[in-house]
Amino acid sequence: MKRSTPVNHAKAAEKFMKDTAHARFHDKRLWDLRQKRDQQMHLLPEWQELRTLASQIKEHTLAHLPEYLEQFEANALKNGVHVHWATDAAEHNRIVGEILEKHGVRTLIKSKSMVTEECEMAPYLTQCDVQVIETDLGERIQQLDNQMPSHIVVPAVHKLASDVAKLFAQHYHTAPDDDDPHSLAWAQRLAARPVILSADAGMTGVNFAVAETGSFVVCTNEGNADLSATVPKLHIATLGIEKLIPRMADLGVFIRLLSRSALGSPITQYTTHFRAPQKGSEMHVVLVDNGRSHRLGMEEFWTSLKCIRCGACMNTCPVYRRSGGLSYGAVYSGPIGVIIDPTFNERKYSTLPFASTMNGSCTHVCPVKINIHEQIYQWRGVLANHHELPFVKREIMRMVGKILGRPKLYRAMVQGAETTLNVLPRFLLYRTMNPWGKNRTLPRPVQQTFHAWYKEHRVKKNRNT
Amino acid sequence: MTSREEILARLRNNRPHSTDYVLPSLPLLGERTATRQRFEENLKDLGGQVLEQQEGEIFSEAIARCFPDEKVICSAVPEFDGTLRLENIISPQQADKVDVLVVRSPFGIVETGSVFLSEKELQHRNFAAHLTQHIVVLLSEKNLIANMHVAYDQRTEFREARYGVLMSGPSATADIQGVLIRGAQGVRTLRIWWE
Ligand code: SF4
Repeated sequence: MKRSTPVNHAKAAEKFMKDTAHARFHDKRLWDLRQKRDQQMHLLPEWQELRTLASQIKEHTLAHLPEYLEQFEANALKNGVHVHWATDAAEHNRIVGEILEKHGVRTLIKSKSMVTEECEMAPYLTQCDVQVIETDLGERIQQLDNQMPSHIVVPAVHKLASDVAKLFAQHYHTAPDDDDPHSLAWAQRLAARPVILSADAGMTGVNFAVAETGSFVVCTNEGNADLSATVPKLHIATLGIEKLIPRMADLGVFIRLLSRSALGSPITQYTTHFRAPQKGSEMHVVLVDNGRSHRLGMEEFWTSLKCIRCGACMNTCPVYRRSGGLSYGAVYSGPIGVIIDPTFNERKYSTLPFASTMNGSCTHVCPVKINIHEQIYQWRGVLANHHELPFVKREIMRMVGKILGRPKLYRAMVQGAETTLNVLPRFLLYRTMNPWGKNRTLPRPVQQTFHAWYKEHRVKKNRNT
Repeated sequence: MTSREEILARLRNNRPHSTDYVLPSLPLLGERTATRQRFEENLKDLGGQVLEQQEGEIFSEAIARCFPDEKVICSAVPEFDGTLRLENIISPQQADKVDVLVVRSPFGIVETGSVFLSEKELQHRNFAAHLTQHIVVLLSEKNLIANMHVAYDQRTEFREARYGVLMSGPSATADIQGVLIRGAQGVRTLRIWWE
């Protein structure tokens, strides 16, 4: 396997921050989403109970995943749905390609799906002469601009309306100086309709798959997913195997948490339950592993599979808000990306666990109670085990120096003997700079001095080798 | 070994100790009042509207008043004809020409102002609910459910429908510079008519 160079997150972040108009808007917009989420949370006295239930349901499901997958499959088959299993990205793409080929599909319309991004499906299908059209507005903007989504819920959040105006002028022939979001959204509607009406197949992602009924649920806002699933006669839904939940009633818990955590709205405009193909149509479900079964065996990291991809941890993260999703150089960015990307490619994403202030805010907002900041800390341990001390120090330095903008202070402290690895940035943020720290109590990060921590991991490493 | 067997074997091998993680039973949480007023408030929060009945007005008059310029009014309910009946639509291309779709929902959820529609109400033309420009949903106050927990617990539609959508207001997007736009790619407006 070819050795990939580690992503230079700090450098990309620095570049993003230089463009103040974009950087300011990005920070403000995501913080606004975080505040809307808080407002929704305060409306529900049972919020913490919902989080606990969601976490317990997910942990239980993951511990019984083989049984629930078999149950889901059996019920889906009974409902007349075709079920496929893909061990990795290549197999996923091949399966989808074969279904499309069998039906002579030339145009595939798609709604948002992170799994297909993860599998790099679109470039593969393009090689097979299938035209893949993203129908979600944000995804479409990113597709036209040849970029990955920069956020898992709001894919083009790093762009301003003027950027979209330029792209649409080029591709949709709208007036380049018309950057009114209303007319741009209208242009997308007008451009997408004929494509939707003539497409040969539609594809959606999946938010939740219910084992006891063999059905799956898709939560969206624009209506494009429902159009993609109901207009063509062929619907393919693709999902990571961790999307399973046992019971229909579990949806009550998850639907109530998802959009409130993601966008601060009580529910997505569309919550769609697919159980069986429409009359005269065909429905396929592709269950994708692609590293998930391996992750399930990682004692410190398996609970990251509880993630329901709400993006709340991204919206609240000071590093993510400042650096923009694309700077992570990965499909999954922000705190959740930091803890799952290294499971895909440890070397390439070895720098990402340092893109964190360890302030614990991500853990605090996560609707399924993933201990995100602790896992970030544990990843640093794993990486320190596999790298040299200067690498670890340098990456922390870059994060604090370039992204948080206090290199001198940090340098002075990092050289002190009692310096702790994770408390420093917290100190910088919550005492010195404080724009996010106000009026909030955050969980204390793990306390351990840098040297003690390093020694412990070195010892472990020496034992292992 | 097939991919299926391989994945299942790896999961069996790698999973955490399964008896440590018990499936919790689900309490019926949340606000339990199912009033029309709360439904309307939540509906409006998500951009939905109420087609108010004016003094002495019947449904077809309300539609004419609300949509004076719309030409193709498609009906999926027996008591109102519109200009086109849903059962006469045979293709998405035809449904794309519809200005207003009138359909009855079996139940609404108060917590989120949502209405449920499935292939039964949409007469196996599910696309019609999304290709039409506007939708008017007939709903009865006695079919209001307090919240999501109660809905999933009690409504058998979730288990029976092939396709079941909860629509909460019209389609929307905030993908361009965070500006909220009601009326994205699906219906541009959603109205409730109380019956
Ligand atoms: S880790 Fe938690 S907060 Fe982050 S996207 Fe996943 S579910 Fe949401």
